[in-house]
Amino acid sequence: MKSVLAAIARGLDRLETGVLALLALTLVLLAAAQILARWVGQSPDWLGWPVIGWLLGWTRWIGPWVDPFLRALVLWVGMLGALAAARDDRHINLDVLQRGLQGWKLRVARAAAYGFAALVSALLAQASWGLVALERESGTVLFEGVPMWWSQLVLPVGFAILALRFALRALVLPTQATAS
Amino acid sequence: MSVLLLIVLIVVLAALGAPLFALIAAIAYLALRAAEVESTVLAVEFFRLAEMPVLIAIPLFTMAGYLLSESKAPQRLVRLTEALLGWMHGGLAIVSVLACAVFTAFTGASGVTIVAIGALLYPALKHARYPERFSLGLITTSGSLGLLFAPSVPLILYGIVAQQLGTDPPVSIDDLFLAGILPGLLMLGALSIYGMTQAPPKQHDLPWNPREALSALWDARWELPLPVFVLGGVYGGFFAASEAAAVTALYVLVVTVLVRREIALAALPRLLREATMLVGAILLILGVSLGLTYVLIDAGVPEQLFQWISTHIDNKWTFLLLLNLFLLVLGMLLDVFSAIVIMVPILVPVALSYGIHPVHLGIVFLANMQIGYFTPPVGMNLFIASYRFNTPVTTLTRASVPFFLILMACVLLITYWPSLSLALID
Repeated sequence: MKSVLAAIARGLDRLETGVLALLALTLVLLAAAQILARWVGQSPDWLGWPVIGWLLGWTRWIGPWVDPFLRALVLWVGMLGALAAARDDRHINLDVLQRGLQGWKLRVARAAAYGFAALVSALLAQASWGLVALERESGTVLFEGVPMWWSQLVLPVGFAILALRFALRALVLPTQATAS
Repeated sequence: MSVLLLIVLIVVLAALGAPLFALIAAIAYLALRAAEVESTVLAVEFFRLAEMPVLIAIPLFTMAGYLLSESKAPQRLVRLTEALLGWMHGGLAIVSVLACAVFTAFTGASGVTIVAIGALLYPALKHARYPERFSLGLITTSGSLGLLFAPSVPLILYGIVAQQLGTDPPVSIDDLFLAGILPGLLMLGALSIYGMTQAPPKQHDLPWNPREALSALWDARWELPLPVFVLGGVYGGFFAASEAAAVTALYVLVVTVLVRREIALAALPRLLREATMLVGAILLILGVSLGLTYVLIDAGVPEQLFQWISTHIDNKWTFLLLLNLFLLVLGMLLDVFSAIVIMVPILVPVALSYGIHPVHLGIVFLANMQIGYFTPPVGMNLFIASYRFNTPVTTLTRASVPFFLILMACVLLITYWPSLSLALID
């Protein structure tokens, strides 16, 4: 039973890393594609040329939706990165004091520090849910066909998972890999 | 009474290692509650992260930096600078200063420079019979050099935060990239000259070898265009900062993974995860500090602070001197990202009232932060160097003193000579 759970946990870890890498790659590729599309857009006669026009034809697909999409993607990548950072104890803190602690003192310090982080994350999840609810009512759009609140969903969901993760980190000691 | 209790609680939690974003968010949350404002404001402000067009430069440059530092680019950078400059008197010291600055500009001052570049240069310095203490001090100090050069992420972050305040004159990232050049070169120059005086007498560190120079240039052929994209692109006006970031990130990805194949495709997800962890940590403190800034500005804190300060300090030079002292301590305690998001929204309005240009303030801010990285007793780079070179922190502290004094003199010059920062911008 325990090994099944461990396998599920490993699978979820891989899935998380995979999704994160995929979003990060999308960010790089789409941001670069947008610049190329802008250049092509500035001299559109290229598209009329036989081979070059065929090679650059895809740039027509880069429209006004890309800008808001990329900006939302930055937030998504950031939130997923924040989740990963919580798992590895890599959030920015003043670690001068905790560095010197060991044994039960370290356990108490971690329980207080990360328990507090879990509580605050939960409050932020609640506040974000309020934002999503507001935006659903007002009906603004991110870009044509996509309501704004879809992109905002990453906040309440992300902060809720962050709260759970910090709560777990509050109970365990750092593993060797994260301590180095 | 209860306010005092809360402050004590926050300080205790900070000392116990609570994440800074949680502390900032908690303060903003409590202040909102006290003012009877809905906590949804925190989320509204946080979501403004998705409305900042330049923010994308942070993940893109961070990814490029991580990929570069995992590839063999650090070795090639050291080899190239050695081949080109090693023949001079004090050449290896100059090489160290230059290589560290270039590397930090691309990867941020996260301590990677000491580990990746310092570890290569320290044995070389030792081999060329530089004094041990000088070498240690040089490596520890150079770990944060380059913060003022494009495309350093702290420089971009300062621009983003300052832009939110809608200052007059406005702050643009491109201006900051330009403003950092001369102050940055001043620091490099001062350290290089000091290096020459400390080099072993009458001895060139490495013989001049034109074939090695050519071969090192050829070896670095794929990395050489990078400064051109960033510096030429932004400084020459071809790209905005965020566009240079996109081009750089794609180029580095293609070169390290497909052309050089120094990063295996299978290792890429883990590496991207590493990079986005830093991005996530920065974005989280930036997002919650937008909420805190809203609270502070709503309560008129910058005006009150200015009024309080101006009753005690009547001229801008005294203000700048005290600012330097304050920033030095801040840079020692806080990492540069947290220091920027927390302090810039408060400092910029006050500095503006004293007639200080916000771009100049940014350069002063970052120059101080750079020194704070190795200011005893708790500057982060002292600990990283101590860990990496297996040397007691006290030894490194003593070794860093002359460097500290030199860079402090540079910071004072940068502070009191605004045109050094502003000369290159219109």
